[in-house]
Amino acid sequence: MMRTRQISILCGLLVFGWLFWGCATPEKKTPLKHGAPGMAVFDDEFEFSNPPPGWMLVQVESGGEFGFGFMKVDPGPFPSQSMFVYDEEPFGCATQFEGREKEFFKRYLWSTAMVLDMKIIERKKVQVVGGEGLAVIAEGKDPVKKEKVRTKIVFGKRGERVVSWYLTQWRSLDGTYDNAAFDVFDKFWGSFGYLKKSFYETL
Amino acid sequence: MEGHQRNLYLYDRFNARVTGVSVDDVTTLKYWGKDLDLTFPLLSNVTGFLGDSFGVVPSSEIKGYPVFSRRTVIIDKMGIIRYAKDGSPDFKEILLFLKKLNQEGGK
Repeated sequence: MMRTRQISILCGLLVFGWLFWGCATPEKKTPLKHGAPGMAVFDDEFEFSNPPPGWMLVQVESGGEFGFGFMKVDPGPFPSQSMFVYDEEPFGCATQFEGREKEFFKRYLWSTAMVLDMKIIERKKVQVVGGEGLAVIAEGKDPVKKEKVRTKIVFGKRGERVVSWYLTQWRSLDGTYDNAAFDVFDKFWGSFGYLKKSFYETL
Repeated sequence: MEGHQRNLYLYDRFNARVTGVSVDDVTTLKYWGKDLDLTFPLLSNVTGFLGDSFGVVPSSEIKGYPVFSRRTVIIDKMGIIRYAKDGSPDFKEILLFLKKLNQEGGK
């Protein structure tokens, strides 16, 4: 009887230890932190207006097409979703915004393997990260897949290099766009700031 | 290649020049370079002898077609290979290496 009791206590301790060990597994640290009121900080380097709830952080571990951003799935049939990102290496090489815009659209969204006849809807000069920038709104439609995308791209400068912020909003061909996502994006790039120099600025 | 084009001003700062080498023919490279707005030289090496010189073995991924494996090579002014790395270029590593090489005395 005594032996059975000892074994039961031992088993209990082992289960407790296993559970405790499981709880103690370190969580993966998120690079997203709270900054000043209403602001978020990513990777201790980028500060911007915190997107409202529902926007999920997306980031590329290495060698991707963009740095980081936020996305949400929108109501409606596939492919209803919105995503905006900050990209330190936008497609192209030109250091002037107008030239970069032309290069950018040669390859923009090529990985979607869609026939997107992108049409520029609006192009205007803006102020971004304390300097002059260029904002372009464009829309593309794929009549074969019956999908469309509206996008806004903002080109700015970080040191000597062109950087960009862009939003893509996908819809079925008969879907309606959600302007609220564009407002969130405008707050994102409009509030964007750098907390330290870029790698290239330190060379 | 686009990444190299973006970094040209930094390569200039570190007294470095960049050249692309491919087994594609001249006409293909001409149009490809124009499409990407590249301003640095692209060398057509259809026989692949430069690949042997720099240890770029034919890729095993595409059978029956002569393509180089991707490799970045940095050669100093004396013609000595100082850096070689396979795969996509690590631009930050390349820039730091060129900076160090330049600081060593303009090598």
